[in-house]
Amino acid sequence: MPKSGSKYYWWCQIGGWAFLVLILIYAALTTSVEQRVTEQHIYNALIVAVSGLISTHIFREVIRRRGWIQLPVDKALPKFLVGILLTCVAGSLLRMVFGSVIGVGASLKTATFTGRLVPMMAEYGLMIFPWTLIYYVYHYIDKYSKQQLDTLKLEALVKELELKTIKAHINPHFIFNALNSIRALIDENPVRARTAVTELSNILRSSMQAEKLETVTFEKELNIVKDYLALEHIRFEDRLQVEYEIDEDTLDQPVPPMMLQTLVENAIKHGISRQVDGGKVKIISDFKENYHELVILNTGVLNGNRNKDGFGLASTQNRLQILFGQKANFNIREVNGNTVEARVLIPVDLTK
Amino acid sequence: MIRAVIIDDERLARNELKKLLLDFPEIEVIAEAANAAEGIEKVDSLNPDLIFLDIQMPGKTGFDMLAELERAPNVIFTTAYDEYALKAFEVNALDYLLKPVEPKRLADALQKLQVEEDKDPISDHTISVNRSILNEHDQVFVKDGERCWFVKLSDIRLFESVGNYAKVYFGPNKPLILKSLNALEERLDEKVFFRANRKHIVNLRLIEKIEPYFNGGLLLEMKGGEKIEVSRRQTVKFKEMMSL
Repeated sequence: MPKSGSKYYWWCQIGGWAFLVLILIYAALTTSVEQRVTEQHIYNALIVAVSGLISTHIFREVIRRRGWIQLPVDKALPKFLVGILLTCVAGSLLRMVFGSVIGVGASLKTATFTGRLVPMMAEYGLMIFPWTLIYYVYHYIDKYSKQQLDTLKLEALVKELELKTIKAHINPHFIFNALNSIRALIDENPVRARTAVTELSNILRSSMQAEKLETVTFEKELNIVKDYLALEHIRFEDRLQVEYEIDEDTLDQPVPPMMLQTLVENAIKHGISRQVDGGKVKIISDFKENYHELVILNTGVLNGNRNKDGFGLASTQNRLQILFGQKANFNIREVNGNTVEARVLIPVDLTK
Repeated sequence: MIRAVIIDDERLARNELKKLLLDFPEIEVIAEAANAAEGIEKVDSLNPDLIFLDIQMPGKTGFDMLAELERAPNVIFTTAYDEYALKAFEVNALDYLLKPVEPKRLADALQKLQVEEDKDPISDHTISVNRSILNEHDQVFVKDGERCWFVKLSDIRLFESVGNYAKVYFGPNKPLILKSLNALEERLDEKVFFRANRKHIVNLRLIEKIEPYFNGGLLLEMKGGEKIEVSRRQTVKFKEMMSL
C-alpha cells in the first residue's frame, strides 16, 4: 500500500520478526543440549516469526479498516485487548498448522490441543502486546501532531482573516458625510475646512496602515480618534460633546490598531446619531491594577438586537485575546439608563 | 415656482444643498427641518411641492417620516451611502442624490420633476380649498416592512379592511397600512372612492365589470380581478352616482 507510513510499517514488521528469529536461534544455540543449531530449530523460529507476521498483519488491517486509531482511548482500549487475544489465538493456530505441515514441534505432540495452545498464546502474548503498544503509540503521536498542525494552521488563518476584516473597517457613510461637511465648510470657514482635510487624510492613512501592524501605541490610536471625533463634531455640531480623561503614562501602551476607533465609531453610530438632542462621548484611559483600562462612554441605550453588531463585539473580544492572551477582556453594558459603557482591559506587560 | 423643504439633521449638509439650489431659481427653499418630527410639522403646515429628505436621522428615519405623512409630496432623497435603503425604491424609480451632491445630478433630478409637473397640469392650483380631502392625483407613501412605495391614489383600485389595518391594492402589490377604513373614507374623494360594503372601498375608475347580484345587490369586478360585493343599501347610492 502506497500510503504514507506503510513503508515504515513493513520495515518494522520484517525487521522485528527477523530479529525474533535471530534471538530464537541464539537461544537454541546456548540452551539446547546439543549446543548447536539444528534444522528443527531454524524451522521452528521461522514458523513462529511468519505466523506472528501474518496474524499481526491481519490485526493491523482490522485496526485500519475499523478506524480504531481514531477512537478515544477509553473506547479503543477494550477493542485492542480483545484484538490482542484473538491475534494470539490466530498466531498460535497458524503456528500449529505450519508445524504439522512441515513436521516441527513433534516433541509436543503428546500434549492435548489446549495444552499446546495456551503456552503458545502466552509466548505470542509477550510479543504481540509490545507490537500493539508500539503500533498504537506511533499512530497516536502521528495523529496528535497532525491535529496540532491543522489546528495551528486553522488558527493562523482565522486570525489573519479576522484582523483583516476588522482593520479594514472604516464606515463609508462616515467618509462621504465628512466630505460633504467639508465642502460646505470651504465657504463658511475655510481654515476649519483645511484642518478637516488633514484630519480625514490621517484617518484614511492609518486605516490603510493598520493592515500591516499588529499593535500601535495608544498615543497614535488616540490621535486618530481625536481626528475622527473632530470631524464628527463638524457634522453634529452642538449635538456632540467630547471629553477625554487620559492618564499620560498609558500613551505608550500597545493597543490593536483601529480598535478604539471602531468602538468610538459605534458610540456615534448607535448612540449620538440616534439622539435628537445629541449627547456626550467620553474616553477614559488609565491603569487599573495590572491592566490598561480603556472605557468609552456614550449617551444612548443598548439595543436588544445585538446580533447585527454582534460580530463587531465578538471579534473585538477575539482580537484582544489573540493579541494579549486570555486575560484581555472586552464588555459592553448600559449604565444609569441612558449611557452605554464599553470597557477594554489589556494586561500590562511588566517585563518591558 | 417650486416650494421646497430641506430635511436633514446636519446644518452644514442643509447649507450645502441650499447653496447648490441657488443655481435653480425655480426652486424656493421655504423651510428647513433637522429631524423627522420637525419635518412632519413643516410639511403639514406649509404643504411644500418638494422635499429633500435625508434617510438617516435621529429618532425616526426619513422612511418612517414619510409613512406618517397624510399626503406625500414629491421627494428627492439625499444620503451619504446607503445602497440598502435605496433598493427599496427600485420599483418606484424615485430619485435620490448621494452626498456630496453632484450639481449635474441635482439638475437631472429637478429636470425630471419638472417633466412630471407638466404631465399633471392640475398640481399646484388644486392646493385645494379643502386640504383634508386627498385628491386622486395626490400620492401616498406606503411602507410595509422593508419595502416602500409611492402610490398615486388614482392607481389604487381597492382598500380592504383587515382588523385595524387596511390592505391597499395597486399593481401586483397589496401591502398593509395602519389605518382604519372609516378614517380612510373620510379623507378620500367620494367622487372617486366608493364604500362598497363594510369591508371594502373601491376606486370607481378602476372597475372592470358590473354584474347584478342576488338580493338586489351588485358584484363589481376590479381591474386586478378582485370581486367585490356591493351591499344592498350601497347599491342604491352606487346607481345614483353612476347615472349622473
